[in-house]
Amino acid sequence: MNSFREGIMPITRLKIEGLKMANLNIDSAKERTFDAIVIGSGMSGGWAAKELTGKGLKTLMLERGRDVKHIKDYPTTNLYPWEFEHRGEMPMDVQEANPIINRCYAFKEDAAHFFVKDHEHPYVQEKPFDWIRGYQVGGKSLMWARQTQRWSDFDFEGPARDGFAVDWPIRYKDIAPWYSYVEKFAGISGNKDGLAELPDGEFLPAFPLNAVEDYFSKHVKESYKNRHVISARCAHLSKPNPIHLEQGRAQCQERTLCQRGCPFGGYFSANSSTIPWALKSGNLTLRPFSVVQSIIYDENKGKATGVRVIDTNTKETIDYYARIIFVNAAALNTNLVLLNSTSHRFPNGLGNDSGVLGKYVAFHNYSAHIGAEYDGFKEWKTDGRNPAGGGYMPRFRNVYKQETDFLRGYASGFGAYRGYKHSHEGVGSEFKEGLAGKELGPWRVGSHMMGETIPKESNFVSLDANKKDAWGIPQLKISIDYDDNDEKMKKDYLEQLKEMFTSAGFTNIKAESNHQAPGLDIHEMGGARMGNDPKTSILNKWNQVHACKNVFVTDGASMTSTSCQNPSLTYMAFTARAADYAVSEMQKGNI
Amino acid sequence: MNRRTAIRNLALVIGGAALLPACTEHNPIVHYKHFDISLDQQTLITDMAETIIPKTNTPGATDLNLYSFIIKMLDDCTTKKDQQAFLKGMGEFNEVPKKLFNKSFADCSKKEKEDVLKTFEKKGNNYSKDQLAFYNTVKGLTVFGYTESKYFMTKEVVYELVPGRYNAYYPVKN
Repeated sequence: MNSFREGIMPITRLKIEGLKMANLNIDSAKERTFDAIVIGSGMSGGWAAKELTGKGLKTLMLERGRDVKHIKDYPTTNLYPWEFEHRGEMPMDVQEANPIINRCYAFKEDAAHFFVKDHEHPYVQEKPFDWIRGYQVGGKSLMWARQTQRWSDFDFEGPARDGFAVDWPIRYKDIAPWYSYVEKFAGISGNKDGLAELPDGEFLPAFPLNAVEDYFSKHVKESYKNRHVISARCAHLSKPNPIHLEQGRAQCQERTLCQRGCPFGGYFSANSSTIPWALKSGNLTLRPFSVVQSIIYDENKGKATGVRVIDTNTKETIDYYARIIFVNAAALNTNLVLLNSTSHRFPNGLGNDSGVLGKYVAFHNYSAHIGAEYDGFKEWKTDGRNPAGGGYMPRFRNVYKQETDFLRGYASGFGAYRGYKHSHEGVGSEFKEGLAGKELGPWRVGSHMMGETIPKESNFVSLDANKKDAWGIPQLKISIDYDDNDEKMKKDYLEQLKEMFTSAGFTNIKAESNHQAPGLDIHEMGGARMGNDPKTSILNKWNQVHACKNVFVTDGASMTSTSCQNPSLTYMAFTARAADYAVSEMQKGNI
Repeated sequence: MNRRTAIRNLALVIGGAALLPACTEHNPIVHYKHFDISLDQQTLITDMAETIIPKTNTPGATDLNLYSFIIKMLDDCTTKKDQQAFLKGMGEFNEVPKKLFNKSFADCSKKEKEDVLKTFEKKGNNYSKDQLAFYNTVKGLTVFGYTESKYFMTKEVVYELVPGRYNAYYPVKN
């Protein structure tokens, strides 16, 4: 080739390169072909990867953000408070440039690097919606609040009984064994409380209630029918089993610095648990910096054949192929991916024959809390820190029958703590000494509301017709709001809690409505809901797209209704169940 | 604080973050990101912090360099509006010791300095909004800086990075 003169080289090279390219394309397409693709690497994506690789499937996991390796990529995890430049506070220019994410309680100097800044990924708010996102390997499973309460048939039968949304295509008995399955691996601490509205699970020892939490629990039980304050169940290794040690995780050390990432793996995250497990199988290829543009649908084959990805570093568009695709991009981004996956067969988004894709999105109403003091149990305090955060009061409203002028109900967090008394008045040596004083103050108690909201057609997400993101993908337009039912429920929460606090002898009660926008609860769900009828739902009872059987959606987007329990555990269970079904269908040759 | 120490501290504060001081003869000025602080102002804030958290048989505000912390937090973590109020209030601050003791804060004795600051916490004082904002910011950041200092969190109230325990019922010893 060196002897060719310049003039003729381009043509020759073109031919040779052309031949090479053809081969390369075949080779490269082979290299880009997997048994399964998982879109997203967070709470549910990690489970999909673990289950699919565990069943021998060569799996590609796509993550739009950077990689976050367990321990190695937790830069703040072992910092002392004084080692933070601003002692935890966020600089004002960052706060002012990011009003949305700045409203998130965990957006502080120790964990801000795990949250998406407003300007990095804009979206359109038709109504105020605080969209809290974590774009990295592990997603929000790194920073989540780790509450893991099972849902019950009071939740799964809710829509049918109360006449909203559509009937869930499953019941508790369908998901119960999968709850057990994921709980054993993730490690959930809790007590067997024997409550129908909050089924028991496979528990590690619970973190105990303290004196005042215990007192309130007993008081509520004695004074009210069907009201219970239990120790909150959470994804912490209070006492690890061999399966947890095998994951490289160790006992929770009660640091309660979880949002930084835990060097002990004391709480469950995709980074500490499911992803390393999947990698160990040798079947997982993890590809960070990969934004999914769409799912590729083959009109002839009548199924999805792969995923179109944009490499966020090179801006290159790359297609990956697989027999099955799991969509776990987090609720609203899963809607975006499906809506943007258009074809001749699906002009309005993949699987969207019914027209309900993006609609019936709901969330949890976290917009009220109440605080008080208790002048008793002076002989007790606590020592160390409680990762569970204290107590949990399962829903007691409208459980067995409709009893209020609003539908559904709320769960309530409940915690008590006792700190030292420090006067903030004065100056000088006496004042200084007082700051280190060991005189205990009164017990303080607090509760926050976690309300179920009703999925409605008018609460929806769609693709903006004009605005695009940095990769040419339409921006998500969000149109979600509270309604009258939420207001009535909030009023009831504040009244009921005030009454319970008063009857328990708590004083200085302060009840507050905080008027936060939807989204800040970080429990948005729905848009690609499950249902029995393809005319009114996107997914069947196996989280499988009705009209495109080799695509599964197992994150928050799949939820038919929201319950009032924290949803992550339920996503995990649905994901493991769907993965099991998907592989059995592949083996049968059905997909 | 004597002048030599003050200038040396000023140089330490500048570190590399702030720009070089514009040296006027007697009252050099340091430019921060959002405002300027003169040597006299630095002395005032340092003295106030030391009055709030004095050196006793344990370190005080000056030992713990809380002045630098106060300025950093004011520069980085405070709104423009609050910074303006702080600066304005700082300018009006010496009216108080002038009225009480007929001298500037710098010239007050330790006891007089304490008395000056205590009047800011008295109900019914008629200080301007900005004066109060200045005082409350210095006080708040001094206390914040002190209670989050390595000294305080290792020697006074021991902060545990890894408690390794949660005792829900822990008896209070009397």
